[in-house]
Amino acid sequence: VLASVISATLLGVDGQVVTVEVHIASGLPGYHVVGLPDTAVRESRERVRAAVQSSQLKWPPTRITVNLAPSAIRKAGAGLDLAVGVGVLLASDELPPDVLDGVAVLGELGLDGTVRHVPGTLALVDAVSRAGCSTVIVPPADAAEAALVPGVTVRVARDLAELRACLKGESAWPDPPAEPCDEHPDEPFDEPLDLGEVRGLTWARRALEAAAAGGHHLLLAGPPGVGKTMLARRLATIMPSLTDVEALDVTRVHSAAGRASAGLVRRPPFRSPHHTASVAALVGGGSGRPNPGEVTLAHHGILFLDELGEFPPRALDALRQPLEERAVWIARQPITLCFPADFVLVACTNPCPCGLGPPACVCGEAARARYRRRLSAPLLDRFDLRLSVGPPEPADQAGESSTSVRRRVDAAVARQRARLSGTPWRRNAHVPAGALERLLPLSAEATDALRGETEARLLTGRGAARIRRVARTLADLDDATEISTGHVVLAALLREDVP
Amino acid sequence: VTKERSADEVAAATLACLPRMTAARLRAVLARFEGPVGALRAIGSGCLEDEVCETSAATRRMWQAHAAAGTARRRIDERGTQVWIEGAADYPIVDAVPDLAPVLLGEGRRPEAFEAPRVAIVGTRAATPHGLADARELGGFLAAEQITVVSGLAIGIDGAAHEGALDAGGLVVGVVATGLDITYPRRHTVLYERVRANGVIVSEQAFGVGPRPGLFPVRNRIIAALADVVVVVEATMRGGARITAQYALEYGRPVLAVPGSRRNPSAAGTNALIADGAHPLVDWSDVVLAMGMTPARTRSTPDRRATPSAGGRALLDALGGESANPDQLASRTGRTPEQIAIVIVELERAGWIERAQGAVWPR
Repeated sequence: VLASVISATLLGVDGQVVTVEVHIASGLPGYHVVGLPDTAVRESRERVRAAVQSSQLKWPPTRITVNLAPSAIRKAGAGLDLAVGVGVLLASDELPPDVLDGVAVLGELGLDGTVRHVPGTLALVDAVSRAGCSTVIVPPADAAEAALVPGVTVRVARDLAELRACLKGESAWPDPPAEPCDEHPDEPFDEPLDLGEVRGLTWARRALEAAAAGGHHLLLAGPPGVGKTMLARRLATIMPSLTDVEALDVTRVHSAAGRASAGLVRRPPFRSPHHTASVAALVGGGSGRPNPGEVTLAHHGILFLDELGEFPPRALDALRQPLEERAVWIARQPITLCFPADFVLVACTNPCPCGLGPPACVCGEAARARYRRRLSAPLLDRFDLRLSVGPPEPADQAGESSTSVRRRVDAAVARQRARLSGTPWRRNAHVPAGALERLLPLSAEATDALRGETEARLLTGRGAARIRRVARTLADLDDATEISTGHVVLAALLREDVP
Repeated sequence: VTKERSADEVAAATLACLPRMTAARLRAVLARFEGPVGALRAIGSGCLEDEVCETSAATRRMWQAHAAAGTARRRIDERGTQVWIEGAADYPIVDAVPDLAPVLLGEGRRPEAFEAPRVAIVGTRAATPHGLADARELGGFLAAEQITVVSGLAIGIDGAAHEGALDAGGLVVGVVATGLDITYPRRHTVLYERVRANGVIVSEQAFGVGPRPGLFPVRNRIIAALADVVVVVEATMRGGARITAQYALEYGRPVLAVPGSRRNPSAAGTNALIADGAHPLVDWSDVVLAMGMTPARTRSTPDRRATPSAGGRALLDALGGESANPDQLASRTGRTPEQIAIVIVELERAGWIERAQGAVWPR
């Protein structure tokens, strides 16, 4: 009369194993859920009962107590329905007691007994697999995603009655639905973009390339219509494809955030929140169950903030922690959630309120200063690459295509991977100041050039370190072993005081 | 270091500091009662007729109270404010200029700034790096010629002109549109102090009057009147600098304008002045000639900058004397960003160019 079923619920973007205990005792017929359920979980009672009855199975006319352990953690969503339903069947001897040893159950129940999609399957299956389950039973829609976790046998449950038959061995397990394709079809844009469409802007293109290769944050300032946004959107086309580990990370996050996906996300995500986005929408949080924000959805990809100066200052300053730590911690009694947020920030801004910039600008010095103050110095400091973009020259030719730039970026990424293997960092931009000397050494000449720039521009040690990282990325893009003077000087000029 | 104040000066300052006082009213009152002392006595005893300067009864009652209180006297004593009355021997404007301020208040430790020839340097607040450099240079040049620089202490050209003159050890006069106890713009606090130490700050407004849009054009007529020559460095089409130039023409002061690129909206006003007949100022010594003096120094000092390399020359050619951003330079020279970066740094160190507002500017 006591049954326990392993399932899992989402905690942020991670799975939390939940043991669903069902106890059936004599007493007045009733149904109680204990263990911090949210409304959706409490309502499972109606769904589970209707599903059991629709499946021509017996609903025990006694007192049913459902406990969700560990009971201190708030459980959310309807993904525990199927586990509760199966638990009731187990406890009422509709199923043999040992069929669910080493098996986890995920799924939401419909009133007719069908099993429905749960968000975050990848994270949930990952969690139960770590907890020692070798088999998971999942809704048909999530079978492909569950199969991404290595070493787990995935069983598909289409509806409760069929699941019961399969568990009893009365019928064979249904095949998982045919997978649409391995590649994630979710292209960020309707039309294919290509850097080849951008004329001129040689420096800005170089900066874009460095951002893609080295993971440097990029700020473009310039008058409207010169191609800032056009350029920034094309960053996605030259970003290196995700590695297997990164792809799993990204898929996990997106699945947990409820973004429909089939199979692995292979291309870096591109997120461009509007400037009316709230702090919670940008960095995550919100009332009740904390949700991942745009910075987390841009994990291993690009966060594009157009019109940076128009974002509320509070939201921008909230970005400082994720930019520095590449993760967001959100504290909620009694736990603190960690959302990954390792992204390349690309931002655009106008140089001044009139937007024209020099030499056509008609703004007063005071107006320009006021506009500049919207972007705090600590935020601006976190951009490794800052430059002004001007209008193209009449004679400018169409530039290099994305494919050809991407080849160079891929090679530069491979060089960084070799250099940084065995360290916790993936890109030049991530190397902390303490490890610069060891990992990104400078020749005597380049050291001189860097010292010259530091003195001429009154740079802080942090500024010099940022120039050094960018210089290394520029050298990687040139396929050069040594950082040259040209790389250092260009890196310094690509870090202007803008806007 | 203030000399003993006469009764006239105290009375004039009190009158100038009355609320709702304007230059026209002050002039009318002074004319009606034949001098400040008489005027103040008349106002204090309520004998001011309303047709003298078209005041309401309420204003006259207010004036009467203020005249009796004597706040202005205490103020000018505390602050060491100097008072100049039109027609007096030390009044800094000697020729007859229509609708001028009958009373000027000034504060500063070097009132002898008024004894030297004076040149006004005016221009836009939205100045380009070129304009700021010109204003600073011209200020320094005039200081070396023992000429007092008059300007308005505003952001942009005004501030740069004051700074250039002060840096070269010259005397300056700052004419402000607020009361003398107000510092506007606030970020010029240090500059205000420097002007007080090396010249005079002048105003016709009462203490406590804050920045009001309408007062700036009114202030500009004093700048024009105080100067022997007015130089406009950079001006937009609809800026206060053109108003100053207009007053200067009315007052018979020569107006010189620094020509600029037709692509530079901050030079549109100066170019328009030149088109209207202002003398284009290409060589700073022309200012001295325009005053009917002989420049003390010969033409500009020899260029001590290192000769640029071939790449440097190519880049200067690509700039063509105007500002350009690095993208444009890359397109014009056909060089890679690394090559251009090295040349930019070389030219910057040698003083051929400067970088500002995301662009490269030739010097």
